[in-house]
Amino acid sequence: MTKTTVRLGDIAHGRSGDKGDMVNIALICHEKEWLPLLESAITPKLLSKWFNGWSEGPFEVFSVPGIGAINCLIHKVLQGGGTVSKRLDSQGKALGQAVLDVQIAIDSKIAKRVGFIAERF
Amino acid sequence: MVYKLNRNHMSTTARIGGGGGFWGDQTLAPLALIEQGELDYLTIDYLSEVTMSIMHKQLVRDAEAGWATDLADWLKAGGIGMLHSMNVKLVTNAGGANPRACASMVLSAAAEIGWNDCVVALVIGDDISSRLSGVGATGAELEHMFDASKGSLLDHTERVVSANAYLGAGPIARALERGADIVITGRVADASLIVGCMLHHQGWAKNAEAQNLPLCGPISKWHNDENTLDIIAGWTIAGHLIECGAQVTGGNSSDWLEIDNLATIGYPIAEIGADGHCIITKPLLSGGAVTPRIVSEQLLYEIGDPSSYITPDCTIDLRSITLEQITPDRVLVQGAIGIKPPETLKVSATHRDGWMAAAELAVPGPKPRMKAERLNQVLKERLEHCKGLNIHCEFLGDGALLPPNLRIDSSPPSEIIVRWVATSHDKMELAEFARSIAPLVLTGPAGVCGYGARARPRELLRFFPTSIGRVLIEPQVHVRMLHSWRHELELRMPWLEEHIFDRLEDMVATQGVKSRLAGRVLKRLERVKEGETIHD
Repeated sequence: MTKTTVRLGDIAHGRSGDKGDMVNIALICHEKEWLPLLESAITPKLLSKWFNGWSEGPFEVFSVPGIGAINCLIHKVLQGGGTVSKRLDSQGKALGQAVLDVQIAIDSKIAKRVGFIAERF
Repeated sequence: MVYKLNRNHMSTTARIGGGGGFWGDQTLAPLALIEQGELDYLTIDYLSEVTMSIMHKQLVRDAEAGWATDLADWLKAGGIGMLHSMNVKLVTNAGGANPRACASMVLSAAAEIGWNDCVVALVIGDDISSRLSGVGATGAELEHMFDASKGSLLDHTERVVSANAYLGAGPIARALERGADIVITGRVADASLIVGCMLHHQGWAKNAEAQNLPLCGPISKWHNDENTLDIIAGWTIAGHLIECGAQVTGGNSSDWLEIDNLATIGYPIAEIGADGHCIITKPLLSGGAVTPRIVSEQLLYEIGDPSSYITPDCTIDLRSITLEQITPDRVLVQGAIGIKPPETLKVSATHRDGWMAAAELAVPGPKPRMKAERLNQVLKERLEHCKGLNIHCEFLGDGALLPPNLRIDSSPPSEIIVRWVATSHDKMELAEFARSIAPLVLTGPAGVCGYGARARPRELLRFFPTSIGRVLIEPQVHVRMLHSWRHELELRMPWLEEHIFDRLEDMVATQGVKSRLAGRVLKRLERVKEGETIHD
């Protein structure tokens, strides 16, 4: 499987929010058809790597095909929740934007199949 | 497909505004929305997990506080008169921890402008903080919703500050059906504010009243149609989309760069159909934008498993929802699937858990990161003897908003803000922490600046989500109808016994003498206000 590295923000846009001690990061593909690309690239395993040091999970990824999106759910990540978190971003509101600059590895075959074209290709 | 607004004909579509996203949002936004929105209903969600606990703390200090005071600000800035003259119903959970006091303010505001026959409904029964032990005695376990290791809320009974069940749309709809102009609630689920309006607008609440069905539902029994749950799901999604105010009209959007008129952002309007579809839009000429990209971000905002988004009214599968731009700034939303809601209601509780204080200082280059780390090290060494103190440190400007593995390699920052947050169960330790910040300016590495006022410890409230059987909550829920004329009389004639007001209210209700009677008495009171003595 050939992998290519792209900026997550070239595939999707996002927004994050909190619920108790959880944060959800919604990532919505710029083109609905690109969803398989995101689904194959963003896995609970990847999230656990990303959030190492902030959360031990569980990590969940749900697909929302109607709007071409995935919803990433990170449990126990706010040091107990928005009312007690000591971080400046106590509700995880920045994460949905901040992750867009992260480089991710995508499957070139799927990229070709769904017609994904990023500037760096 | 083009849906056209036509208020003058028998349109079953309701236009519902979302006038704010939280307590502290743009205070006067509702005024613009009422003025330009051609609304049937205005809804405002003022509550959050954090807000309820703050309101409960205020209530402890002041029996008239503990509700969203923003509501008073815009009602008194002309809002109450606009609701009256434009015939817009207001539904809001501004009541927070003290719906009675909030409703009392609304009644006074109505009387103040001469709206004597204003009817304010109070929805109560969500607050279980004072009856926790009673609830425990019924065998309710009240275990932590997401983490079994956290035990039960009952383990913390002594330290509980707030505990509110999320009520659904039922009581709101019934209040509107009984003639409310304004509905004030405590902890009602955000989207239920909108669903309540729809249950009334579509005649479901009328059925429920006629059949004397329970106030709280299940609301799917109020309507006979095989798609009932899908319709409720659609209305709930409409509610979910507008309950965060301008987050669905271009605020907090990834497309911020393309939206050049955020300063005048319009708050959302949902045109909601009888079949459960809706169109999200905003007032003409307002700033912001409504596009599928923007609406999609709000659709998944604060959502867990999208196949089962649980609300008191309905559980929703939102995976098949589609968004379609029909005309500029109008997005059609459809495809929500409804599932029967659970037999339990979510309870948001908070309990005391020690103290917290925050402070920050700025460090310049050269070597800002090393300076920041050294500064932090100095502080921690000086406070080593405070054994109960837990100090969190972050370097703002150098990747603090992302977890360590995601920090993007970039050139070193030119400066860093060092931010500390300390917690302890011993308030004295936090006082010592607060005292230790300013001295760092003279006793730490070079160039440290930005010292503000000494940090004040605040009580830490830990959020504790749990659930409770509907049977323990719903039978306790009440809708009370309050009349501005009576409120005014009670305020001005506190010596009159309550049964006299009750008699008057009976007469008003049964003999239709409302305006004449209220008008006459109030006119007499005006004369009293002008200096005449009253002889009774």
